[in-house]
Amino acid sequence: MNLGTRKILDNSFTAVGMGSIVVMALALLAVLTPIVYNGVGAVFFTGTIEHRTILYKEYGRGDAKTIETQTATAERYRGEAYRMLSDFEAEMEGMPFEASSRYRSQYAQVRAAMSSLLGPLPGDPTPMLTRFQYGQTRWEKAEEKLHEILYEKKWDYSDPTVMAKAFYVPRAEAFAGTMLAPLFGYLDRHLADMMQPEFTVYWGFFTDRSLDAHIFGGIWPEIQGTFFLAIGAMLFAFPLGVIAAVYFTEYAKEGFFTSILRSANSTLAGVPSIVFGLFGLAFFINTMKVSESKSVLAGSLTLAIMILPTIIRAAEEAILSVPKTYKEASLGLGSTKWNTIATVILPAALPGIITGGIISLGRAAGETAPIIFTAAVSVGSAIGIADVFSSPTPALSWNIYNLASEHEMACEIRHVQYGMVLSLVSIVLLLNLSAILLRAKISQKLKG
Amino acid sequence: MTEEVKSDGKRSNAFVVSPQKRKMQKLAKNAGEALLLGIASFVAIIVLFIFYFVAVDAIPYFQLRGFTEFFTSTGWYPAGEPGEFGALAIIYGSAMVTLGSALLAVPMGIAAAVCLSDILPFSVRQYAKPVIEMLAAIPSVAFGFFALVILAPLLQSNGGPLLMWTWWVLAAPFLLLAVIVAADLLSARFAQEENRKKMALLLQSLFGILAVLVLYVVGTKLNAIEIITGTNALNVSIILSFMALPTIVSVAEDALQSVGRELREGSYALGATRAETLLKTVLPAASSGILAAVILGIMRALGETMVVWMASGNSSHIPDPWFNYLEAVRTLTATIAGDMGEADQVTGSARYHVLFAMGLLLLVISFFSNLVSERIVVRQRKILSGQ
Amino acid sequence: MQMRAEHKESAAKGSATATRDIYIPSERVAVSGGGTPHVVAKDFSIYYGDFEAVKKVNAEILSKYVTAIIGPSGCGKSTFLRAINRMNDLIPSCHTSGILRFDGEDIYGKLTDEVLLRKKIGMVFQKPNPFPKSIFDNIAYGPRLHGMNDRKQLEEIVEKSLRKAALWDEVSDRLERNALGLSGGQQQRLCVARTLAVEPEILLLDEPTSALDPKATAKIEDLIQELRGSYTIMIVTHNMQQASRVSDYTMFFYEGVLVEYAQTAQLFTNPKDRMTEDYITGRFS
Repeated sequence: MNLGTRKILDNSFTAVGMGSIVVMALALLAVLTPIVYNGVGAVFFTGTIEHRTILYKEYGRGDAKTIETQTATAERYRGEAYRMLSDFEAEMEGMPFEASSRYRSQYAQVRAAMSSLLGPLPGDPTPMLTRFQYGQTRWEKAEEKLHEILYEKKWDYSDPTVMAKAFYVPRAEAFAGTMLAPLFGYLDRHLADMMQPEFTVYWGFFTDRSLDAHIFGGIWPEIQGTFFLAIGAMLFAFPLGVIAAVYFTEYAKEGFFTSILRSANSTLAGVPSIVFGLFGLAFFINTMKVSESKSVLAGSLTLAIMILPTIIRAAEEAILSVPKTYKEASLGLGSTKWNTIATVILPAALPGIITGGIISLGRAAGETAPIIFTAAVSVGSAIGIADVFSSPTPALSWNIYNLASEHEMACEIRHVQYGMVLSLVSIVLLLNLSAILLRAKISQKLKG
Repeated sequence: MTEEVKSDGKRSNAFVVSPQKRKMQKLAKNAGEALLLGIASFVAIIVLFIFYFVAVDAIPYFQLRGFTEFFTSTGWYPAGEPGEFGALAIIYGSAMVTLGSALLAVPMGIAAAVCLSDILPFSVRQYAKPVIEMLAAIPSVAFGFFALVILAPLLQSNGGPLLMWTWWVLAAPFLLLAVIVAADLLSARFAQEENRKKMALLLQSLFGILAVLVLYVVGTKLNAIEIITGTNALNVSIILSFMALPTIVSVAEDALQSVGRELREGSYALGATRAETLLKTVLPAASSGILAAVILGIMRALGETMVVWMASGNSSHIPDPWFNYLEAVRTLTATIAGDMGEADQVTGSARYHVLFAMGLLLLVISFFSNLVSERIVVRQRKILSGQ
Repeated sequence: MQMRAEHKESAAKGSATATRDIYIPSERVAVSGGGTPHVVAKDFSIYYGDFEAVKKVNAEILSKYVTAIIGPSGCGKSTFLRAINRMNDLIPSCHTSGILRFDGEDIYGKLTDEVLLRKKIGMVFQKPNPFPKSIFDNIAYGPRLHGMNDRKQLEEIVEKSLRKAALWDEVSDRLERNALGLSGGQQQRLCVARTLAVEPEILLLDEPTSALDPKATAKIEDLIQELRGSYTIMIVTHNMQQASRVSDYTMFFYEGVLVEYAQTAQLFTNPKDRMTEDYITGRFS
């Protein structure tokens, strides 16, 4: 091969390596950007009067006076629309049956979409579920609903070789000549008047209970559940892990038995997370019966086992990185081995140990599979600290799955899902970031 | 802290203690160490317990239904009357997404590891490392959410063009490289010294046209693909590969670092380029450690639950044709997670125990993979330290 | 091999015939109450596994005097020093044979409490190794270990120790600062002070100046002169000038064997052994 080609190959090799790292960075960006962008939307958004009404009625927050005047204005504009509906209904009554049946199903769609946009229409009975008692709380959702009212979605099946394509027909055409025809133009013009949009900062998203399975309200029960589970796991795993690390670094004599123990540690680190879930169910709940069924305690214990190897490894590394001279100096002053470990080695290794602990805490907070069978429930309110031994809890990780995959209105509450994902990712990444900073500080300190 | 000089001027020997005290000291020390050992053994006990308790609930399944159906049938209807428990398609699905993610993650991971250990200057590495750490830290359910809510609709609506562009971006530089190298090699082989330049140019243009043709034909083919469902094996493979990457990169980088400077310097001194040094000397020397990295990365993908549960489509069948990554599949982990909710109402039934059988299968695979990778790492360390 | 160094009222006068370029103090003042055998080795050997690192040493180290141990790298001098307060216990493969006595009691005896032993035999290491704590806490570490918690008393001990180590004037206004902020030489004197705070009888110095600059080295050497007479001091050093400057007696080790042990002036001016002469004249090192 000539030198030119070799040089080109050399450079391309470098490019492949850098490319891989760039791809990783891009992947990270691709995952985080939509999560951050849409997740922020759970707190900062343009809210409608419905949002303010819910806050006032269900959570007792907000200024009654303002809400009252805004509601009055909104009702004035809505009244006009309601009047058009009732006019049209009266008109349909007067039509011959064939004529009115032409409109009937279309009109039902319009009515349904209207009540979804504005809340129950006048004359309708108050619905059972909270989700039907209010109109759209977010402006962009209100606009979507308006589009649903204005246009009918139809499918184009003309080309059998490709998938059917959707297209939209204005409903105004279908109702041309009836008393409903002006409604569409009216709604389009006065949507803002009817909904009273306002830029809203909803910090309550993090601290409010949820309403009707997260259709309204916040995610406090999930945040609290995640907190309980992760802290619980640390309470078990951290002391055990640090003591085991002390044994491995300061006491274990190399030999068959020690190598078995070390192998066990790496085996445990490699067990798939779902198998921890199975074990937690079979051992903690079905055999040990730490609780009647799922509970925070069972979940924490399961998570503790999962993060134990990480803590042991981090603590071992931290202890090994303490200069041997500290130990010599302490023993040379007539300190016992145990005293040396407690007063010199562990304090010097502490930042490193804590770094490992923080990373494990993040891992425990983010894991889903181990808690599916042991601790997590889909819908639930925040539990008290006394209930951790007996009751299951909602948790961020599990409820992200649940809301995105199993919720009956998954597509309607994307903003809640994004808000949850952002909360979880922020918790985990902030923990990791603080660990990274702590580590940087340690290495600086060791340099003197 | 008094001067320990007795009245007769003879120093006391304060460091010698009575036999009883010495005995007590020994006893206390041994007891303390035994306690520590007990706590350190906790992990080993847990591992035994995991095997025991998963196996105890898995064995009844095989007693009830035998082995044949589980491993050879593709019919999965656990809720049927009578139920069918053929896990072949599910095992295949697991294998498929694991292989897919490995195909994506292994070359990238090794390239990135080489880059981190040998190519990037320290100042850049400082920024690359946190990227990898953050990628490792993101919870799997967040990846799953991304796969389900963002990647799946994207694949469904724009799958064809997306595949085409990926093909162009990835294949074009490699084909270009292949053309240059092939032309160089062939001209060196078949042309006289004086004609070599001309011959190379001729071959380059010839191969170049061929390469553009290949790029175009494959590109249009890919562009025409309609992806029926965005929650498919490809989607999951892509996401899993990014989850496996941090493991592969960090373990492989350790392996590369443990190959000494001497080896690299020896190769450079013989006039090798950096790529040649790395490919022909460093990578072979670190090969076993890299193999361990690959095994660990693959295990990460095989054991992952949330991403596959949310974004694989959960359809228990072997795709047609068998390598069709654009079809929905179902994996072992997702089946355990998804079916336990209904099955644990009927503890003792085959439906409940079959999920533990799947767990046991995963556990056994992960155990042996770990054992193998650990052996490999230990062996490499021994070889490199010259024992 | 010279075993027992005769003690005279006045230590050896520097020989007028000294032709070597090593400075030897012309006169050393005898120490009152010193000169009794403090540490005694009888056929004492140290092994790392099967390797005999120190071979059948027989020697008596005299109290309150400074004894230097010299010899080429790997000759076993540090190993021997660390055997005296059983720091070698940290190395799992290390074991001993023969007898090593301190104040007449066997250091490696069954009833020896190595923790109490190390309290009596303090050690200062090659690299300054203060704990990452405040200066005060560093000094107070030992006394606290041995049960002293009274702040007033601790303050007294800290001041006394720092004064003894000639460090008080430099650090008295910043006792609460981190000890790692001190210069290398100050750190090493802090380590000496820390050792003095537990009131040992013997001070073992394992190449205490090898990581220091000449100025800091001079201060440590001055310090050793100050402490001479109050403690039995043993110092391992690579630097023959240093050995001749600070010590009363010198041991020369070669390949684990104690080749020669004599008064410093005598060993440097009139070595009995050929090997010693080759070493101190720089034929090998």
